[in-house]
Amino acid sequence: MLEARLEQASLLKKVVDAIKDLVQDCNFDCNDSGIALQAMDNSHVALVSMMLKSDAFQPFRCDRNIALGINLGSLTKVLRAAQNDDTLTLKAEDAPDVVNLVFEATDSDRISEYDIKLMDIDQEHLGIPETEYAATISLPSAEFQRICRDLSALSESVSIECSKEGVKFNCQGDIGSGSIHLRTHTNVEKPENNVEIDMTEPVSLTFSLKYLVNFCKASGLSTQVKLCLSNEVPLLVEYGLVNNSYLRFYLAPKIGDEE
Amino acid sequence: MADTREDMQMDMQEIEQETSPSDVFMAPSIHKPDILTGKSYSHFSPIPSQIADDMSKECVLGVDEAGRGPVLGPMVYALLYLPIELQQSLLADTHHFNDSKVLTPQVRSSLMRKLCTRDTDLHASCGWATRLLSARDISANMLAPNQYNLNAQAMDATIALIKEVLAKGVNVKEIYIDTIGRPETYQKKLERIWPTIQITVAKKADSLYPVVSAASVCAKVTRDAALDVCYEPYQTSTENEDAVATDAKGEIVWGSGYPSDARTSTWLKANMDPVFGWGSECRFSWSTAKELLEGKNADVNVEWPAEDDGNGLRMTDFFKGEDGDELVDWFGMRVTEEMEVF
Repeated sequence: MLEARLEQASLLKKVVDAIKDLVQDCNFDCNDSGIALQAMDNSHVALVSMMLKSDAFQPFRCDRNIALGINLGSLTKVLRAAQNDDTLTLKAEDAPDVVNLVFEATDSDRISEYDIKLMDIDQEHLGIPETEYAATISLPSAEFQRICRDLSALSESVSIECSKEGVKFNCQGDIGSGSIHLRTHTNVEKPENNVEIDMTEPVSLTFSLKYLVNFCKASGLSTQVKLCLSNEVPLLVEYGLVNNSYLRFYLAPKIGDEE
Repeated sequence: MADTREDMQMDMQEIEQETSPSDVFMAPSIHKPDILTGKSYSHFSPIPSQIADDMSKECVLGVDEAGRGPVLGPMVYALLYLPIELQQSLLADTHHFNDSKVLTPQVRSSLMRKLCTRDTDLHASCGWATRLLSARDISANMLAPNQYNLNAQAMDATIALIKEVLAKGVNVKEIYIDTIGRPETYQKKLERIWPTIQITVAKKADSLYPVVSAASVCAKVTRDAALDVCYEPYQTSTENEDAVATDAKGEIVWGSGYPSDARTSTWLKANMDPVFGWGSECRFSWSTAKELLEGKNADVNVEWPAEDDGNGLRMTDFFKGEDGDELVDWFGMRVTEEMEVF
């Protein structure tokens, strides 16, 4: 039996909105530590990893490990029926055919209930090793979104260079080129505008902007985003959620794009 | 595949008729190296002496095809042209050209031989050309992401052949073609390309117009010989393997190449590589071949990875799959066996 109650339906709405264009069907793996999701896009260039810890729910109960195979398009349709500040309760049996979603309005006694049919999804699960990244950049998620959007107008790929001077997002396109420099910046009054760069060695990697723009759909989940880079390792884009929960995107670097 | 279905309904006699004779005439339109490597090509006979002497002579031209339905071997388009006044007298009355499916393989072969032999009346007045579409190219086109279907390939082959003959300066006044799809639309399309030529597209044109019959003989004999050439590599390999077991030397084990021919389907089953299927002689786009290779009973399920933009790396290049028993992941390992050691 699974029963997980979210204070705000908006959290799940935003998570699903952020990943539904990358992944069509995926398993929500539920166990006593929370609800996790890992899936690659069709071309296997990007990977999504979500972890909603049990603390994010109030209450959370999961007696047995279950995998809820859900079509994200269907889930989006049902979540549209929820208001952002509704409380949302996910329920499933131990060997479920359906997952049950209950939306309770906060300001009235309206309760709506939906069932989504589950599917058997045979998914490859990748082991992601703990990595010491050469550079970790924290910046406002709106800033990162703007960088990706602006550069994607010029080119298909962006090189991210991190050095002593700061971080440089650089692109070359048919119509011209563009680059954006960011330095460490501390704003005491508005810490969400901070830019922090933690670097042990310089790195320079090239990524597809199409995917980065896609990841930025998660910007509404968190004021800050963390980019972790090491040479010859996928980029990690992390949006931190409440209570150490997270939504992570991994993106394989492009090679042979330097010259 | 609606196109091939009609060919499925052949009875045994027709299969016999379709099977190439072991002594088929190797016409000059057979380019062995091209056939063996699976290439498509065109062949043009020299302009016959009667027309070459007077290039303004008005000619009639016929086009026909052979080998549209088979799963094995190339499809051949052939055209034949000659002075208009000779069509009836030379082709029909003197040499009894008829639909290649009505003529026996031996008669077809000998007619083709005459056509290619110097100092015969046929050689002096008839020019001809063939375009051989290899099985490899046909299936590659049909299976391409933006499909180039068999009818379109056939039309383009026909048009290319006629264009080339006109470019040589032959004064073609009338064209007769066996139809591909609906005669009206095809005829309109051709009339737009050659507005000054009288074009007739008809069903069963090969039995109505002697010039189309003659073209169909060129196509059929070329197709038969090409199929024989395709078989050569297999023949030598079976002989080396087991010289005694080969049935009557020269016998082509794969039969006519039509999907409905039991010899063809047996051969396909027996000679299939579980991963790569067959050689360049096979049309992989035919359902017969597709089903054997990808069907439910396929020996091996091959997943060809999707192509990416070329310079990308994948997640799986970095992160390894967690291979392990799923149940073990859930419940952990049994320890009883180790306990017994004590």
